[in-house]
Amino acid sequence: MSHPLTNNYRLLIYYALFWVVIGVTNLIMLTFFYNVPLTYSLLDTISTFVIYPLLGSSIWYSIRYNNLEEISIARLIVFHLIAASILCGIWVSLIYALFKPFVGEGNDFLKNSLPSKIFGGYVMYAVFLVFFYAVNYYQSLKEKVKKEGEYVALIREAELQALKSQINPHFLFNSLNSISSLTVSNPEKAQEMVINLSTFMRYSLLHNEKEMVAFSRELENIKLYLSIEKVRFGKKLNAEFEIDAHCLEAEIPNMILQPLFENAIKYGVYETTDQVTIKTTCECDGNALKITIVNDYDHSTLKRKGEGIGLRNIRKRMEIIYNQPDLMKITDNKTSFEVQLIIPQKQNLS
Amino acid sequence: MSEKLQTLIIEDEELARNLLRSYLKDQPDIEIIGECENGFDGVKAINDKKPDLVFLDIQMPKITGFEMIELLDFKPQIIFTTAYDQFALKAFELNAVDYLLKPFSKDRMLSAIEKVKHRIQSGEDTAEKLEELSNYRPGEEFIDRVVVKDRHKIHIITVDQIRYIESLDDYVMIYTNDGRHMKQKTMKYFETNLDPKNFIRIHRSYIVHVDHIAEIQQYEKESYIVILKDKDKTKLKVSKTGYKKIKETLHF
Repeated sequence: MSHPLTNNYRLLIYYALFWVVIGVTNLIMLTFFYNVPLTYSLLDTISTFVIYPLLGSSIWYSIRYNNLEEISIARLIVFHLIAASILCGIWVSLIYALFKPFVGEGNDFLKNSLPSKIFGGYVMYAVFLVFFYAVNYYQSLKEKVKKEGEYVALIREAELQALKSQINPHFLFNSLNSISSLTVSNPEKAQEMVINLSTFMRYSLLHNEKEMVAFSRELENIKLYLSIEKVRFGKKLNAEFEIDAHCLEAEIPNMILQPLFENAIKYGVYETTDQVTIKTTCECDGNALKITIVNDYDHSTLKRKGEGIGLRNIRKRMEIIYNQPDLMKITDNKTSFEVQLIIPQKQNLS
Repeated sequence: MSEKLQTLIIEDEELARNLLRSYLKDQPDIEIIGECENGFDGVKAINDKKPDLVFLDIQMPKITGFEMIELLDFKPQIIFTTAYDQFALKAFELNAVDYLLKPFSKDRMLSAIEKVKHRIQSGEDTAEKLEELSNYRPGEEFIDRVVVKDRHKIHIITVDQIRYIESLDDYVMIYTNDGRHMKQKTMKYFETNLDPKNFIRIHRSYIVHVDHIAEIQQYEKESYIVILKDKDKTKLKVSKTGYKKIKETLHF
């Protein structure tokens, strides 16, 4: 931390202005009300309200290197008493040097005012001390607030990062197994699947860089994901889409849909032996994109444990991005499961 | 060994079945006697056909490979297959069973079959090992369903359907709203694997679902009985420690 007066010009100007005002007031009072000769008034004013403030600005260093929390009160008092004495010593010497050319030998003016000057010097030290402690406190408070703000932003960033979906290893290894099988029976299809899987993975890596993408792109990726899963599940997986064409330009958080489809497959397709339809409908409603994903499921085989971690992460991510609750709605109809996402848009789409 | 190993494939994905079949095609000592797409069919096929060897996928529709083991009357040699399941892997490692991680190579599969042959020759009993495997639950979570088999039908009972469980020597009787089912598991298993927020072991012989308790009555000086909400107002004995547990769980 550098000196607040050199660091902050506004504070320096206020500091100077303050002493100028007090100094001028002092000059006027001495000259006109106490009828002190102008030379003396001037000398007194300069010594108290120009020299002391100049010297006093160095008091900042005495608090800068003495943290209140780290040092005992007794040591602090001793330290400041010594510092104050040294400062007063220097100050009084300077006053003597300043007065000497103007005051004749044997003049009592200096001698008489010496005790009050020294006392005043100590009092001024105390005033400066309080002032600098206040400045110091304010500065560190401001810094803390700033750091806290940075910290909150950092946490938000980290949270968002953690909430983004990762590719499920189960999906990856099962897909690789399908490819392994296809290399024997249908090499062309195996190649196609390798390419699809690569494209899908490349897209999912993209979300480390970009937060928002065009809905059309996200949709393409979902279709790719479903095509990969369709190789595994065959007829069991049936995907239907009903998309309003003018929704495609909407902006949507990257990879926000994939976990929803993964869920639908996990609880719908995986748990039953019948065909499962995953139906996706999209509409634009003023300033929001509304995406609804419905899948059938066999509720006799499992008890849904409410919101799993996948859905919870999406809800949290939406909350952080849009700063708005309830953008995800879940409806469990016992034979089908419905998730609706409402994605606010900056531009009006309809 | 002169006879061929009678082998069953239980796997829900067609491509995974195709791969196994193509790996096994040229093995002179393996004969594939059937393929199943889900756990229900798998249990029936094993109990009916009594194969020597089963390739068993862990994650399947209806019931998992682990749950299937609980329902087998006949315990064959099993080679488990899974793509990625940390809990299953831990269970496999701890119980030293054979498993294949998908995708696996033909060599890897053949060496697993070699081990199985070796075990059959040495007459090692695998039933106990499988029993332990099915009792082992590496996850922290409580169970959310129980699979049972009455004669030839398999039922999946979600835990919220369970009213109470009664101990019957080596078996337990699970009472639900629409009947009762016998299962070869210990009371200890249910006591540790059912969520204690919902299930209380009220007595050496009983575990009860708290939602089905209608009232608790003093029976003698220091003994109590629980009366359930059903038509018959079933009465169950409560032990001293059981009473304490009820008090703790229901906060009275």
